[in-house]
Amino acid sequence: MIREFSEEQLELRQTVRRFLAEYSAEADVRRTMATASGYDQKTWEAMATQLGLHGLAIPEEYGGQGFGWVELGIVLEETGRALLCGPFFSSVVLAASALLESGDEAAKRRYLPGIADGSVIATVALPGGGGELDVAAELVDGRWRLTGRAALVTDAHVAHLVIVPARTPAGLGLFAIETGRPADGAGLTSAMGANAPTGAAGRTDTVGRTDTVGATGAAGRAGSDQTGFRTTLRPTLDQTRRLADIDLDAVTAAAVGDPTGGEAILARVLDLAAVGLAVEQTGGAQAALDMAVEYLKVRVQFGQPIGAFQALKHMAADVLVEVETARSAAYYALSAAADRSDALPVAAPLAAAYCSDAFVTAAHQNIQVHGGMGFTWEIPAHLYFKRARSSQLLLGEPAFHRARVAERLGL
Amino acid sequence: MGAGTGASETALSPDEARTAARAWLSDHWAGVDDENWRRALVTSGWAAPTWPVGRYGRGLSRPSARAAAAEFDAAGAPGACVETAPFHDNPWMYLLGNTLLAHGGQAVCDRYLPRLLTGSLTHGCLLYSEPGAGSDLASLQTRAELVGEGEYLVNGQKIWTTGGQEAQFGLLLARTDWDAPKHAGLTFFVIDMDSPGIEIRPIRQITGDAEFNEVFLTDVPVPADAVIGAPGEGWRVLQVALAAERAGMGAAARGRAEGKAAAGTSDLAVLRAVADDLVEAARAAGRLNDTVVRDELVKILSWRLTNTWTGDRAAAEIRRGPSSLASLGKLAASRVLHAGTDFAYRMQGRASLVYDVDDPLAYPVDRALMFAFINSIGGGSDQIQRNIIGERVLGLPKGYEPDRGVPFRDVRKGSATRPVSQEKRP
Repeated sequence: MIREFSEEQLELRQTVRRFLAEYSAEADVRRTMATASGYDQKTWEAMATQLGLHGLAIPEEYGGQGFGWVELGIVLEETGRALLCGPFFSSVVLAASALLESGDEAAKRRYLPGIADGSVIATVALPGGGGELDVAAELVDGRWRLTGRAALVTDAHVAHLVIVPARTPAGLGLFAIETGRPADGAGLTSAMGANAPTGAAGRTDTVGRTDTVGATGAAGRAGSDQTGFRTTLRPTLDQTRRLADIDLDAVTAAAVGDPTGGEAILARVLDLAAVGLAVEQTGGAQAALDMAVEYLKVRVQFGQPIGAFQALKHMAADVLVEVETARSAAYYALSAAADRSDALPVAAPLAAAYCSDAFVTAAHQNIQVHGGMGFTWEIPAHLYFKRARSSQLLLGEPAFHRARVAERLGL
Repeated sequence: MGAGTGASETALSPDEARTAARAWLSDHWAGVDDENWRRALVTSGWAAPTWPVGRYGRGLSRPSARAAAAEFDAAGAPGACVETAPFHDNPWMYLLGNTLLAHGGQAVCDRYLPRLLTGSLTHGCLLYSEPGAGSDLASLQTRAELVGEGEYLVNGQKIWTTGGQEAQFGLLLARTDWDAPKHAGLTFFVIDMDSPGIEIRPIRQITGDAEFNEVFLTDVPVPADAVIGAPGEGWRVLQVALAAERAGMGAAARGRAEGKAAAGTSDLAVLRAVADDLVEAARAAGRLNDTVVRDELVKILSWRLTNTWTGDRAAAEIRRGPSSLASLGKLAASRVLHAGTDFAYRMQGRASLVYDVDDPLAYPVDRALMFAFINSIGGGSDQIQRNIIGERVLGLPKGYEPDRGVPFRDVRKGSATRPVSQEKRP
C-alpha cells in the first residue's frame, strides 16, 4: 500500500504536471479533441522521448526504463487530471500489459521497444464488461487469419498494432495485427521491421492513416490499410477518448502467447487496465473538485462567496471524501499491481468500481456548483463530466466490477 | 385602439354569455378570418373574455367564457377566448399578459395586449439573469437610467436567454435606483427587441448545441411608459411573471403525466407505463432479472409515480390557495431525472459512449443525461429550491444576509464572469 511517495516519485509527479500544464492545458485539450486523429503528435513524441513516460514501466530489456506500476500510476493520475487526449492509456497500459502478461518473448521484443519510444501506437480490443467481441481465428497454411468485429476499441483508428482476443477451435487466444499504417516516428521501422510500409510510399497515405471525424463528432469515415482490416471511428460523448469499431476479414495476425491461453492473460490485462483507469479517474475527480472549490471561493452571490453557504460547503466536503477514498482504492490497487500481490484480482475491480463512481460524483457536483456556467461548452466542467461518464463504462459498469470483487472474494 | 369599449356586461352567467356571443357573432362574423376580424374580436373583448373590462376583456368567469367559446367554435369563427389556451400554446399570453394585467398602465397595455390577442405577438424572451446575478437575481446590475423626458437608456448584460434570436419583445428587469437596497431599486420593463443597441449572441452548451443566448444591452432607448408597475417595484412585478412561469411548467409536467396515464387501459397499466423506458433499457441489456437492477429500477419507478401523485395533490391545493406542495415538485423532479437518465446510461453499457445523432437508442439517452441538469440548475437550482422550502414552507429562519437593507451601491456584487458566447450574431 502506498502511504507516501519517495523523493524521486514526487519529482516525477512534478515533472509530469509541469509538462502537461504546458502541453495539455485546457486550450490544447479543446484543440486536440477537435482534430481528426484525436491526439497531438508533438505532445506524444515529447512524452515518449523527452520524458520517457511511455517506457517508464517497461523493463529495460525491452527498451523501457524498468520502473513499475507505482510510477506509471503517478503519470496516469496526472494525465487524468489534465484530460490528456491521445492513445497513452491504450498503448502504454493496455497493449504493453497484454504483451508483458503474454509471456511471449518474440512479441515482447518485436513490439515493446516501439511502444516505449512512442513510435508504435498500440491498443487492445478489450471486451469491456459486455459480450461485444465477435472475432474468430483460423489457422490457414500455418498463418492465423482473423475474421469478425470488435466494437468500440480505444484509439484503434490510429493504432499500428492492435491486439485482438479471438476464438480458436481450441480456446480463446490473443492475436497481434499490424495495421500497416505508416508510423510518424522512425522507431516503427526498426521495431516492426519489414512489415512496416517503407518511406515515401507509406507517408503519402497520411490521410488514410486516420479516420476523420468532424469537430462536432460527425460520423467517422472508415479507414483501411491492411487488406481486410477496417476501422470506423465512432463519434463519442467524451471527445477526449477516441473509440473505433474494427472489422476484420481474414486478416493476417500472429498469436501472442499461447493461442488457447488468452482467457487468463485477458483477465490479468483487464485487472491492470482497471487499475490504470482507476488512477486516471482519481486524477480527473481531483481536478473536478479543484475546479468546484475554486469557483466556490470566487463566485459571489447574496453578498458573499457561495462557498460560505453550508449547502455548498458540505457538498464540497462530501466530494473530497469521495475523491480521497477513490485515491486510497487506486493507490492500494497500484501497489498490488506493482508487487504482483495476490490481492490484485480483488483490489483492481474494487478500485475500478469505486473510482468510476467517485469521478462521476465529482464531475456531476462540479457542474451543479457552477450553475448555468456548468452547463456551457465554454468552461471545462462538461469535459470532466463526459470523461467521467465514458470512463465509468469503458471497462464495464461499476456493478460488473463489484460482482467480480464478490466472486474473487469467494462470496 | 380603444380598450374594449364595447364590453360593459360583467358577471354574465354561462347561458347569458352564450346568448351574447351568438348575438355578437351574427352581427360580426362574415366567415372571413382576417386582420379586421381579429381586431374586432379584440375591441369587443371576445378575444379574451375573462380579462377585465377596460383591458380588452369582458370580465367573464371561466365557465361563462367556455360557454361563449363553444359558440365561436360552432360558428367556425377563430381567435376568440385565446387567453385560456394551454400555457405552451403561447406562454407569453401568461408571462406578458398576466404581468400587464396585474401591474401595467393603460399605455403599455394598449401597446402590447391587442397584438398579443390577435396573434401577431408570439415570441418573447426573459431578460432577468445576469452573469453576476443567477441564484441571487435581485443583485442584478443592468442599469436603466432616466434621460430627459420620458426615456430610459438601458446598459448591461443578460444571460441564459432562451429564444433571444426570435424574440419580438423582452421582459426586462433592470436597476433604476442604486441607493435603495437590492430588491427595492429594480424596475420591470417590456422592451422591443428590435430596439437599437441590442446584441444577441448564442451560448454553446454542454450538448454542443446553442439554445441559450447572452444579450448585450448598450444605450438601448426604452420609453418611460414601457415600465410595468412603478419604478422601484420591479421585484413585486417579477413575482407575477415568475408565478405564471412556474404554474405553466407545473401544468406542462402534469400534462405529460396524464398523457402517459391515458395510454394505459387500467390503473395498474398506468403504474407500469411510468417506467417503460427503464424496463426496456434493462431488458435490452439482458439484466431485467438481475435483482440489483430490479431494485434500482423500482426505486426510480416509485420516485416517478410518487412525484406525479404529489403533483396531483399540489394541483388540488393550489385551487384552494397557496400551496406548499407545489414547491416540492421541481426538487423531486431533479432526483427523478438524474437517477432515471443515469440508470438508462449504465444499462446501455458501452453503447452509451457513442454520441451519434443517427443512433436512435444511445443518442437520446446521452442527451437526457446532460439535460437532467436543466432541471437541477435552471429556474432556481436545487439548492435555491431547498432554501425556499426551508424558509417559506417550513418557516425556518433565513441565513445571514450581509446585504440586507444596505444601499445597493455599497453591496458586494456578484462576480462577473467572462462572456460565454462563441460567436456574434450573424
